Amino acid sequence: MDMLYLLLRQTMYFSIPLLIVALGGMFSERSGVTNIALEGIMVMGGFTGIYFINQMQSQMSGQWLLVLAIFIAMAGGLLLSLPHAYASVNLKADQVISGTALNMFAPAFVIYIARMIQPSGIANVSFKNTFFIHEVPVLCDIPVIGDILFKNTYITTFLGFFILIVSAIVLYKTRFGMRLRACGEHPHAADSVGINVYKMRYIGVMISGVLAGLGGLVLTVPISTEFKGAVNGYGFLALAVLIFGQWKPMRILWASLFFGFMQTISAAYSAIPFLLNLNIPSEFFKMTPYIATLIVLAFSSKSSKAPKAVGQPYDQGAR
Amino acid sequence: MKKLFSIVLVVVLLLSMLSLAGCQAKTYELAMITDIGDIDDKSFNQGTWEGLRDYAVEHKITHKYYKPTEASTDAYIAAIDLAVSSGAKVVVTPGFLFEEAIYIAQDKYPEIMFILLDGVPHDANYENFKTGPNVFPVVYAEEHCGYLAGYAAVVDGYRNLGYQGGMAVPAVCRYGFGYVQGANDAARDLGLAKGSIKIMYNYSGDFADTPASQTRAAGWYQAGTEVIFAAGGKVGNSVMSAAEAANKAVIGVDVDQSAESPTVISSAMKGLATMVQYGLKGFYAGKFPGGEAVTVGAESNAVSLAPFSTSKWKTFSQADYDALFAKLANGTIVPEKDLDRTNPTELKLDYVKLTFVE
Repeated sequence: MDMLYLLLRQTMYFSIPLLIVALGGMFSERSGVTNIALEGIMVMGGFTGIYFINQMQSQMSGQWLLVLAIFIAMAGGLLLSLPHAYASVNLKADQVISGTALNMFAPAFVIYIARMIQPSGIANVSFKNTFFIHEVPVLCDIPVIGDILFKNTYITTFLGFFILIVSAIVLYKTRFGMRLRACGEHPHAADSVGINVYKMRYIGVMISGVLAGLGGLVLTVPISTEFKGAVNGYGFLALAVLIFGQWKPMRILWASLFFGFMQTISAAYSAIPFLLNLNIPSEFFKMTPYIATLIVLAFSSKSSKAPKAVGQPYDQGAR
Repeated sequence: MKKLFSIVLVVVLLLSMLSLAGCQAKTYELAMITDIGDIDDKSFNQGTWEGLRDYAVEHKITHKYYKPTEASTDAYIAAIDLAVSSGAKVVVTPGFLFEEAIYIAQDKYPEIMFILLDGVPHDANYENFKTGPNVFPVVYAEEHCGYLAGYAAVVDGYRNLGYQGGMAVPAVCRYGFGYVQGANDAARDLGLAKGSIKIMYNYSGDFADTPASQTRAAGWYQAGTEVIFAAGGKVGNSVMSAAEAANKAVIGVDVDQSAESPTVISSAMKGLATMVQYGLKGFYAGKFPGGEAVTVGAESNAVSLAPFSTSKWKTFSQADYDALFAKLANGTIVPEKDLDRTNPTELKLDYVKLTFVE
């Protein structure tokens, strides 16, 4: 039973960053701007957040440091998303190209900066993990749920679920969310009733920058002791989660949990005697999440719920 | 506004061209080419670079490192070309990935000396091996320091061990093979029952810190593993992260990694700097030790565990270590290393129950 709880907790380390970044991508795409720069923005957010921890950890530690680092990571992500917004909204450029450019730019940039500002001249930014929560008082005594969510965890897990709830409410229950979605479906119609499409799309991309930047930090903190300009393709995986989740918050949650759990199994099956004794080659476990993705996408592609106007620059003059 | 912008652009371009031209006038006598990693990988490249840099600074010799554009033989040769055209007399290359590049470069630049760490020069098909008089290839007996680590862990009271390698390259395999044999022999010497040591054994297939490696380590720790020997660059950082959460132990690799995490109880180290400086010393004394590959292990003092001042052994003592090291050094103990195999289950291990996770 302990092993099952461990697996579910490990799943959170995979799933929560995927969830946060995919939700960020959702805001951008729902406003009509494709954002494949998620990977690069994650790198930027991870770097700014971890570097902040690196600098401040001699003066403070624990959850408040992490909370501050979260805001810094968000700011870093926001900053890097602005050129993408400018290129795709103001300049009406091809959104895939500016996204690709940012993906190439971010890792090189953060390594360059790390070498410049660290006195040792090295690219690795190391950090001490003082954010681990062994038990959340009271809540950890709840059977099952307490074991999964409230033991050996990070505040970022709860933050992920909080962002999910807020995202769902904002997208479906507020005037802003309605307008944002309109801009992604039919920007001309939205414009005709007085919605500023440019502004909406800017906000959409900026939200994606904030969340993807946060995702970079959330991914790195539980799984390493240093950061070196890479998030190992998790930005692209988040894009897959976004599509798998059909651009809907709750479905994105299930998609990210599914991806995360499959990845956990493929990594940890050797610790589970039952799975190990089956003598199945590890390649099988490694490819399972991707095969499942292919199958589900093949069946769901007909009813794709992609925003109609995603990827198309908005031109007020065109009809 | 546009005019101003274009003027600024032109000035910047001009300046950068001038600065490039300025660079080329300088020469660097000692050169190092990095492999996939960087000179700050806290592992192979860094150990090599520090050896070269320290020697160069001490003797006031110009030195520089070159980073290839990608990890391919062509890119390595291009980097060597660049180093030579910048005046390099000795080129140091860390890692077996350079074997083919050095095989080609040794004939291309017969007057340049090459120090190749952790490999021997050969062609792309492993058909022709040649080590010219201008090449000094160093092969480390990783199985020696792996053996020390495995032996020490069992003497120190650990019974559930783990080995987390990176890519299954020869050096990584030798580390793992030595480790399981060391654990096996320690159990025999301690008089433990057969099969009383459990070892989980895996190659992650990369050298990166990923949630997958962190999860694998966390799973092993949860299932009872007490200490994991992590030999795979940044894979080790993921193992350390899992160890911190589970309050378990890690053995580091290549260089002393005790500063990276409080969970690191010791490290299996290679004397990279020692061998670089040995080669350089020979070169400047007019006796470059080229022409033949040397395998260096405990007998040359080229491998070791991290010093006891930075280690966290409970019962394993300096005296135990010295006695064990002496046996490796004088050849009483010869750990098996089969380079054609990556699978450790074929080793003869009576006291170890080994689970090879493919």
